[in-house]
Amino acid sequence: MAWIVKNSATQQIDKRDEPYLDDTLRAELEAEIIPRYPTRQAATLPVLHALQHKHHWLPHQALAEAAGFLGLHPSEVLDTATFYEDFRLQPMGQYLIMVCQSLSCELMGHTSLVDALRDKLGIEPGGTTDDGRFTLLTVECLGSCGTAPCALVNETLHESLTIENLDKVLNELP
Amino acid sequence: MSLQEPVLCQRIPTWPWGDPADRHLIGLDEYLSTGGYAALDKALAMQPTEVIAAVKESELRGRGGAGFPAGMKWGFLPPEDGKQRFLTVNADESEPGTFKDRLLLDFDPHLLLEGIAICMHACRLDTAYIYIRGEYHAQAKTLQKAVDESYKHNVFGENSKLGRINDRAPQCYVHRGAGAYICGEETALLESLEGKRGWPRNKPPFPAIAGAFARPTIINNVETLAIVPAIIDRGPAWFKSMGKDRPEGAPPAVPASFGPKLYGISGHVNRPGVYEDDLGIKVSTLIETHGQGMRGGKKFKGAIPGGISMGILGPDQYDAELDFDIGKKYGCLGLGTAGVIVMDEDTDMVAVARNICRFFSHESCGQCTPCREGTGWMYKLLTRIEAGGGTSKDIDLLLELSGSMGSMPGTTICGLADGANWAVRTIVNKFRADFEAKVRKKPHSRLRVLPVGVG
Ligand SMILES: Cc1cc2nc3c(=O)[nH]c(=O)nc-3n(C[C@H](O)[C@H](O)[C@H](O)COP(=O)(O)O)c2cc1C
Ligand code: SF4
Repeated sequence: MAWIVKNSATQQIDKRDEPYLDDTLRAELEAEIIPRYPTRQAATLPVLHALQHKHHWLPHQALAEAAGFLGLHPSEVLDTATFYEDFRLQPMGQYLIMVCQSLSCELMGHTSLVDALRDKLGIEPGGTTDDGRFTLLTVECLGSCGTAPCALVNETLHESLTIENLDKVLNELP
Repeated sequence: MSLQEPVLCQRIPTWPWGDPADRHLIGLDEYLSTGGYAALDKALAMQPTEVIAAVKESELRGRGGAGFPAGMKWGFLPPEDGKQRFLTVNADESEPGTFKDRLLLDFDPHLLLEGIAICMHACRLDTAYIYIRGEYHAQAKTLQKAVDESYKHNVFGENSKLGRINDRAPQCYVHRGAGAYICGEETALLESLEGKRGWPRNKPPFPAIAGAFARPTIINNVETLAIVPAIIDRGPAWFKSMGKDRPEGAPPAVPASFGPKLYGISGHVNRPGVYEDDLGIKVSTLIETHGQGMRGGKKFKGAIPGGISMGILGPDQYDAELDFDIGKKYGCLGLGTAGVIVMDEDTDMVAVARNICRFFSHESCGQCTPCREGTGWMYKLLTRIEAGGGTSKDIDLLLELSGSMGSMPGTTICGLADGANWAVRTIVNKFRADFEAKVRKKPHSRLRVLPVGVG
């Protein structure tokens, strides 16, 4: 829900001593990403992507560090980060299962996939298993309508899914 | 009418010319050995204005949804002033039913890069950003690899064969989005590129005047740019030998639909996928020839012509021609992306409308009240109707709500709300019986009506 700004004002910000945006990443971004754009702010999405890729989610401290790096106020980075579905402001399961629920996938039976996952994992869409291994999400169109139904598991797209082959995909995860 | 040879799919095996099982990534070497980057060399031997003139003459229309003439857009740029000017390539492809740009990104990314380089030369743009949707992880990696190769081949970079543009070395960067459909809207894309939330801008100013970083900017879809090398290579007349001319005697205001087009077909057909054919083929041809018929021999009920924003074609519009005039002729918004979603006789159109409204209410950026609230209300109404709790008044309310939102009724900033408007209105109007069957004719009366005179 792009326009709902997630809770922020009353949130406790956990701090840790070790920075999320460490010196190596900082140097890499400074050399590779910053020169691409006329403003530092334009590097917001690439910087957040890099941080999330490394940490699997974006803690507030990471956003604040990104803001410092980009020469922005933390609220500006939070403003941007809350807008985008991909940026995860809460910790997620080790594997994020994103089942597409848009029209072609619904016509091709995504509901049975979601039901099967509910049963298998014992969670509702939006939930995370107690062992922290899986988070189940339903998402909008993944651009795989010709091979519907489909789902992303972390960064890998799985197409032409059936309950059986999705089960296999999940069982084979390391 | 059917396309003689594949153009966009010349290197991507696609029925009827090749077997998709043989598809593989075309790297730089294979691209070069199959005639790649020859059109760029040809364009570089031409004056920039000549390149724009050729694209204008081809009457190429944008493939991203709006169908705006590409040459005309390129012609809107102000004269150069020595400062930076941008090309932003729209690879945000998030419209449900649309997966055509992905085919090019997956298998022939250099075709896009060649189109980008020609456009930069023609329009004097020094920096290109390819804005690719965040969910396309594999495609972003493939594309980055191709970009790296193109730098080595001196398409871009310090020793670019484009020379210096605006006194800068031409650059091309991949920029990943982060899961927001609205960032496909061109001005939302610019905001997002600048590192902000993807809120569409009020227009004017148009991007050609003040776009990315408030500088002149051209925005084109992946497929639009990918067809440009062929136009330069083989000429506008050849391009216009494909597709469909405007009806004889029609004024130039009627859009012509020249050239080949990538069609996506998904839903209830036997062989879904992306196919290339002339613009203007019939829905029936797409289903029967490319899609190999309706799944399970079921009857055709309806189809979405090009992404869910475009409204719907009813059972009597099976032979509708997929061209830029489809909107006027068949009562929908337009051709859109030509990502056709086919539905068979068992499909519940209330569920289809509900699915579509959920999408729009989820993806609305929230700036305009009719869009932010209206799409949510429609979703709730449709959920209620689907569950059997609606009344016939709800159907009229749906029509009233949908009809009042959008940039065409003038109540919103961008076209997302028009998509919701057309989808709901055309589904309700063309399939009213589906809705009537689910609602109670009279509202429940909650108050017991007591006979007069009691007590
Ligand atoms: C809500 C909305 C979403 C859009 N999404 C896309 C998209 O994902 N890809 C795209 O190429 N164009 C999209 N467009 C159309 C763009 O605004 C723009 O018209 C197009 O990129 C221009 O390129 P073209 O002239 O080459 O088609 C969208 C428009 C709207 C209103
Ligand atoms: S119409 Fe909807 S998506 Fe477009 S700017 Fe307004 S609220 Fe945002």
